[in-house]
Amino acid sequence: MNTAIPYQDITIVYYALAAVLLPFAAFLVNICLPGKRNSVSGWVSTLAILISVVLSATVFAQVWNKPQLHVQQLWFTIGATKLYAGVLLNNLSVLMLLLVSLIALPVHIYSTAYMKYDESYKRYFTYLSLFCFSMLALVVVDNLILFYAFWELVGFSSYLLIGFWFTKTKAMQANKKAFIMNRIGDVGLLMAIMILFSVFHTFDIEKILAWVNLSQHASNGWLSPNANGWIVPGISYQLPAIWQYIAVGGIFLAVAAKSAQFPLHTWLPDAMEGPTSVSALIHAATMVAAGVFLLGRVYPLFNTAELNILAVIGCFTAFMAATIALTQNDLKRILAYSTISQLGYMTMAMGIGAYSSSLFHLVTHAFFKCLLFLVAGIVIHQMQHIKEENDLDIDPQNILHMGGLRKKLPLTFIAAVIGAVALIGLPLTSGYLSKDGILVQAFEWSDGKSLIYRLIPVGALVTSLLTAFYVARLIVKVFFGEFRLQKANPHIKIHCGDGGWQYTLPLGLLAVYCIFPWFSLNPFIYEHAWVLNGFNISDYLERINIYHTIIPVGITILNVFVIYFAYAIYVKRNSYTFPQTGLLFKLSYHEWYIDKIYNSIIVQPVLAISRSASWVDKNIIDGFINLLKNTVLILSNITAWIDKYIIDGLLHLLTSITLGIGNFARNFQSGKIQYYLFSMLAIILAVFIWFLI
Amino acid sequence: MITMNDFLIVSAALFCIGLFMLVSKRNAIQILIGIELMLNAAILNLVAFGKFDRFANGGQMFALFAIVLAAATTAVALAIILNVYRRYKTIDPAKVDKLRD
Repeated sequence: MNTAIPYQDITIVYYALAAVLLPFAAFLVNICLPGKRNSVSGWVSTLAILISVVLSATVFAQVWNKPQLHVQQLWFTIGATKLYAGVLLNNLSVLMLLLVSLIALPVHIYSTAYMKYDESYKRYFTYLSLFCFSMLALVVVDNLILFYAFWELVGFSSYLLIGFWFTKTKAMQANKKAFIMNRIGDVGLLMAIMILFSVFHTFDIEKILAWVNLSQHASNGWLSPNANGWIVPGISYQLPAIWQYIAVGGIFLAVAAKSAQFPLHTWLPDAMEGPTSVSALIHAATMVAAGVFLLGRVYPLFNTAELNILAVIGCFTAFMAATIALTQNDLKRILAYSTISQLGYMTMAMGIGAYSSSLFHLVTHAFFKCLLFLVAGIVIHQMQHIKEENDLDIDPQNILHMGGLRKKLPLTFIAAVIGAVALIGLPLTSGYLSKDGILVQAFEWSDGKSLIYRLIPVGALVTSLLTAFYVARLIVKVFFGEFRLQKANPHIKIHCGDGGWQYTLPLGLLAVYCIFPWFSLNPFIYEHAWVLNGFNISDYLERINIYHTIIPVGITILNVFVIYFAYAIYVKRNSYTFPQTGLLFKLSYHEWYIDKIYNSIIVQPVLAISRSASWVDKNIIDGFINLLKNTVLILSNITAWIDKYIIDGLLHLLTSITLGIGNFARNFQSGKIQYYLFSMLAIILAVFIWFLI
Repeated sequence: MITMNDFLIVSAALFCIGLFMLVSKRNAIQILIGIELMLNAAILNLVAFGKFDRFANGGQMFALFAIVLAAATTAVALAIILNVYRRYKTIDPAKVDKLRD
């Protein structure tokens, strides 16, 4: 397969491979480095990812909007099935390659300062490099087996990083939860892979998609190709529709687990227990992006009904997470729910057919969410310092203690505002371009359908306004007003600042990427964004109707209004405060009780089952074995008694008789000659007397 | 007139004295003396019987022969007693019991 590729193209493939393998090399080097806090490890990882960025950018420039590159090598053969391992570089994978490395770079730089005083500095960078390697490899591989392997590796390395502070019980719980929830998704993906292989006899994603395309043209289901690779309608084996739904459902489960969609989203807020820089990476480009990326990779597998379900779930997730984010007080938890909400947007966009908008939103979201998390990291770090210096008993992540930090952390404040504005989607930012694209297409999609379909764009619209509100609340509570901690404890001393270049440089880099010119020269018309034009799957890029004008304008006005509303409530406090006892507040504050429901309908029954199994094991199985043991013990005791007293007794009797006789005989052998003589005399006398009488 | 019975009574008395010494004495030399007494009792018997049997004086001859043999055995016995004394520093036969089992 790789014979026909010209020299220049094969060089690009090598560049891509190098970009993927460099973090792995850093991982290996870091394992071998001595010491727990070896400061070299941070620079090894950072250097590796820096070179990866350069290589990815080169690859990106060479492949974007050009024919895709697909290089394969025979991996192994089982029976008649040949398995190829290879690299597939198309628009999607090079975009992700660049995005992942570009996000990972600031996170690495930031981490060298953020984790500086941690005891396991080296272990952190070792894991971080492994994480980056898994994700980079995930985006370039061309077959489902390798994809699955790296999918698992992403899950595993995130497990390591979420539980990085493994002495904290909460961190252990969180990484266990993340891992178990991801296992559910992994099982789904594995099922889907098996079903796909049974139909198409290959793991090659490109071939599978080609055949799916062919067979969907030929008939409604998936047709199995014959030995020559032909599909003949009516003759070829057709997969029953139910299996097709199971395969797609499996993929959806995998996406839901990795990208935190509704039924499987609860691991993501808990994953905040990891270091903040890891949260930034997980939330921006690596872990959660993997799910959306999988959707993008296998998009043609979905038929209309399945896409509709996807849209509904995405929309519901977005709405639910946004409502939860409204009332949370933990800085990182708000951002986590905002991530879930934005991922819901992406899934919904996939569902309504806005394929490229979804990926565009993935890209823009990566930058501003990473930025916001790094900001959160700095704020939490400073709060932690204040806490330790003044010996206070507070949660450094609780936004209720913060306020007025804009004067103390000016650069952080600017970065935070840029990130927040991008997340809300105000004009001139990247978020505006991507989010409005999704909203416009959602309205267009629901046009001409029944009224119930209207719920999805309306839901997305409401979610967008909720986003504006909770982001404004977050920014206002953290950066505006008075410093509440100082107000409550007037005597405390506060020393804080933005930190060194390792903090400010990543913030600057990411903040720059949140602004429009990187994505579209025209800041108000999303249709001009180059990312959107890189994907040719059905999209509504023509400005065919009024939506393209009215929705962005309308949303911007509404958003500004909502932000002012939030500002008015939280800073000026001149309007009413919200009741904190209402049903809706409780629902939101307790995260829709989803964790509690899972706990009571899944975790508790499982625990109960395992407890009863343990009881059965302990009392019945062990009891039975103990009974056996006791029986054997009693039997052997009886045998031992018989052996000791009857068999041995007989022998002892024999020996003691012999001994007695011997001893009796021995008595005569006293060694005294005269005694012998005397006895001889006595015997002779006795004999004589006997004969005489 | 000394009769045959007188000889035999003296001889039996001598034998009994020798036997008593043999059994009761705590000194090997004395035991040896006992043995000699018993031997002499036997020799006395021989001589006594020889007195009444004049033919070829067989009794006297045999007695002489026995006296010589007795002397030889006494010598051997004394040598043994000497060796026993060297080894055990005692000649009490009750204490020389190394051959006991």
